[in-house]
Amino acid sequence: MLGCAPASTVNMVKASNHMKLQMPFDLFVMLYLLALMGDRFDNYRADHYTTKSLKPASVTVKGMRMMCSKVHRFFQLTTFIKGLALCVAVSLVTFGLTGCTKKVDDTDTTINIPLRANVKGLDPINANDLYSSMVIQNIYEGLLDYHYLKRPYELKPLLAEEMPTVSPDGLTYTFKIRKGVRFHDNPAFPDGKGREITAEDFIYSWKRLADPRNASEGYWIFEDKIKGLTEWVNAIKNKTGDFDAPIEGLQAPDKHTLVIKLTQPYYQLQYVLAMPFAVVVPKEAVEKYGAEFLNNPVGTGPFMLEKPSDWIRNSKITLKRNPNWRGETYPTEGEPGDKEAGLLEDAGKPLQIADQLVFIELTEDQPRWQNFMKGNLEWVEIPNDNFDSAVKNDKIVPELAAKGIKLQISSAIEVVYTAFNMNDPILGKNKDLRRAFALASNIPVRIQRFYNGRALQAQGPIPPGLDGYDPDFKNPWGQFDREKAKEYLAKAGFPEGKGLPEFTYETLADSKSRQITEFEVQNWAAMGIKMKISTNTWPQFQEKIKNGQAQIFGLAWGADYPDAQNFLQLFYSKNVSPGPNDSGYKNPEYDKLYEASLKLPPGKERTELYKKMRDILIEDMPWIFGLHRLNYRLTHGWLRNFKYNEMTYGIYKYVRVDPKKRAELKPKL
Amino acid sequence: MIPNLIGITLLTFILFHVMVKDPATRFAGKYATAERVETIRAELGLDRPLHEQYLFFLKQIVTLDFGRSWATKQKITTMIDDGFSATLSLTIPPFIASIIFSVGLAMFAAYHRGGFVDKAVVVTCLAMMSISSLVYILFLQNVLAFQWGLFPVSGWDPSWTGRWEYLLLPWIILFVLLLGSDILVYRSVILDEAYQDYVRTARAKGLSNRAVYTKHILKNAMIPVITMIVIGMPFLITGSFLIESFFGIPGLGGMMLKALNESDFPVIKAMTVIISIAYMFFNLLADIVYSLVDPRIRLR
Repeated sequence: MLGCAPASTVNMVKASNHMKLQMPFDLFVMLYLLALMGDRFDNYRADHYTTKSLKPASVTVKGMRMMCSKVHRFFQLTTFIKGLALCVAVSLVTFGLTGCTKKVDDTDTTINIPLRANVKGLDPINANDLYSSMVIQNIYEGLLDYHYLKRPYELKPLLAEEMPTVSPDGLTYTFKIRKGVRFHDNPAFPDGKGREITAEDFIYSWKRLADPRNASEGYWIFEDKIKGLTEWVNAIKNKTGDFDAPIEGLQAPDKHTLVIKLTQPYYQLQYVLAMPFAVVVPKEAVEKYGAEFLNNPVGTGPFMLEKPSDWIRNSKITLKRNPNWRGETYPTEGEPGDKEAGLLEDAGKPLQIADQLVFIELTEDQPRWQNFMKGNLEWVEIPNDNFDSAVKNDKIVPELAAKGIKLQISSAIEVVYTAFNMNDPILGKNKDLRRAFALASNIPVRIQRFYNGRALQAQGPIPPGLDGYDPDFKNPWGQFDREKAKEYLAKAGFPEGKGLPEFTYETLADSKSRQITEFEVQNWAAMGIKMKISTNTWPQFQEKIKNGQAQIFGLAWGADYPDAQNFLQLFYSKNVSPGPNDSGYKNPEYDKLYEASLKLPPGKERTELYKKMRDILIEDMPWIFGLHRLNYRLTHGWLRNFKYNEMTYGIYKYVRVDPKKRAELKPKL
Repeated sequence: MIPNLIGITLLTFILFHVMVKDPATRFAGKYATAERVETIRAELGLDRPLHEQYLFFLKQIVTLDFGRSWATKQKITTMIDDGFSATLSLTIPPFIASIIFSVGLAMFAAYHRGGFVDKAVVVTCLAMMSISSLVYILFLQNVLAFQWGLFPVSGWDPSWTGRWEYLLLPWIILFVLLLGSDILVYRSVILDEAYQDYVRTARAKGLSNRAVYTKHILKNAMIPVITMIVIGMPFLITGSFLIESFFGIPGLGGMMLKALNESDFPVIKAMTVIISIAYMFFNLLADIVYSLVDPRIRLR
């Protein structure tokens, strides 16, 4: 019985001291009554076999008859024993199977991680969704990675020995590949042993990303940026070239040197090399597993999928420690506050990798929260419904703190916004109308009501933490002011909303999106702006936006890398649909500044350009800049070194569990 | 059966292509370029003429190889196999238990019609029916699993010995969910029979009430009951999406819904075909059972 048979009698005695015995007892009584019913049928019939039974007799008379028959039955030995035996058996089985508590192993270093959506596949070139990336970045590694603790986010070499040498014109990057890095042991290799990586492996992996036959969504990171790559891609498309043809911009002069030649300055290159799309994969495994490579990952990382059955689709993925991993040391630097939080305890020490990483996929908030509260998950994002019971005044509540649980807050690098369709004849041409909309939006109340207050109001397109963000800057048309909004509405030519057609606000069909939309629409209705809400499934929503059929819609954009360019590119005219410029904003002055900023390395000059671009966007208001969310997470007292990183998910090599502490704290939860 | 299948596949095909104008854009990602969309359209086979795509679809059904999902790139046949096992072990036992129990309890209530027991059963069932399934799930998961620790909160073990632990609470919830409406319907069906002439004749002949119910009424009431059961069969396959997502059981219900949400046509096609075939098969089965139960019906 699941390893607790010897303990079950002990547990039953223990349980009798708790309310828990109440349930089986009730079950017992219920089942007993049911068992009785089977025979009552016959018995009741026997007591009054007359045609009178066809007419409804009075309730009391019938009731009394039933009572008599019941009592009579109760003392019938055979029925009693039958019922009793049945109830006891079922109760014991149920209780025994599930009621006994399993003893917590105090040597177990497993880390259990929640995932809010299902992992689609473990092929890095298809790592489009956050959740697949969370697993992939612990199995695979790339040239560069983000520093675990430092903020603002900073890059550091991972499989590269050091940061690359960049030529003065910014067009050539030279990487030295670390020696002694091996792929996981896998039957794909000649003797089952993972071989050492070379610079060629990176070229192979990136060619695979670019190969049009793989239809990877991640190709944009290199598209039109590397010399000869576009020609190579076209040759494959037209079947005039083959995969092995060399690319001028990706050279490996020797086994441990990689040279990248760009077609134009691309200062975000180093960032994209830290993304899951750019990790290194072995040719042998891709060729062996073919289309099943997504279920047979072979990387260089600290964790590996030992056998395909360790991944139970849509349920759980178990990664085991890679015994041949080269090892690393824990970072010695962080940001202010890390030391106090105990994040530098292991500074400089060799990393202790957990025996297992278990990713548990749960799409619903309640079971995730409950699993955390039972200690089956090491950390959890606090769901909206449970927020007030866990956090008060930005601090964790005493009941939870007493159990060793801690609170961690991190800010997502994103902007939640409401976009206008700039091609709309009315909205696109009327700046004052858009300003009126923005002034009538009550974002602080929205944050309180729908985000538990866990967000910062956005004052522009650039989120906090990035170059170009100015904490003192306030959007002159972003502060809720109904009077001013009415003024601008009149200025726009529609005093009190007269003459305005009914607008359509496109939104997603889930309840939270709908509630937020209704709130916004109410605010606008108070000014006389008529609006209809149209709900959509996600594909419908995307289609409408891409086809320019959405008039007003709300979305969020999360940073792919910590550079404001990732947000400013959303307004570049060349990026209109099917690209990411969903509002369809076109402004030649903005475009000029944007193109100029691409040519500059990070620094004062570029930041000035970013600020100028921000000013143009504030002036033109293609979006109502909404908010930047804050993520509140709870962690258990036995989890060490955990600091959520918004840019990289390959952090579990740093994290460890104190198994003795877990054995001590978990049963007390 | 074949014309039915062709009709259904044609309908699904047309509906999908009418409703979703351009799935390629969806799968080109957020940094799509017009070129990339074209490439993806070719990869997904969407640039071939419609009738060619339809014939390819029919070939897939015959060989039972539905290709790979557009969204996850996993093999659909494997997805369905895995999901089937989980969903059927989740839905079949409570389905069977609820049939037996609700027919029994319905007969019991019908037997005591008009009486206290009957009224109590009707009221309880109405109350049970009116409570939304989400409430049952949230409440029972919270109380039985989380607070009292009688069952695991969620989880799944694909091995045959390990899965029962995770299925117990979902079984209880499904059983309770199915009970309410079933009892009421069966009760009214049985009551209809109870007022027939042959019942009076049987009693007049001297049969005990019990025999009247089990030998005569039950058999005649079986026909509408079997119809109800057959109509409920697709539920066995689509599973209960809510229960699967709350208890982390990787079944087919979630698969279909996710595919619909993502415009993942290969999965939608595969699931529609499978559900249609299953439904037709169960209808056939029902016809056979009718002929066994009711001698007036003969199979042609």
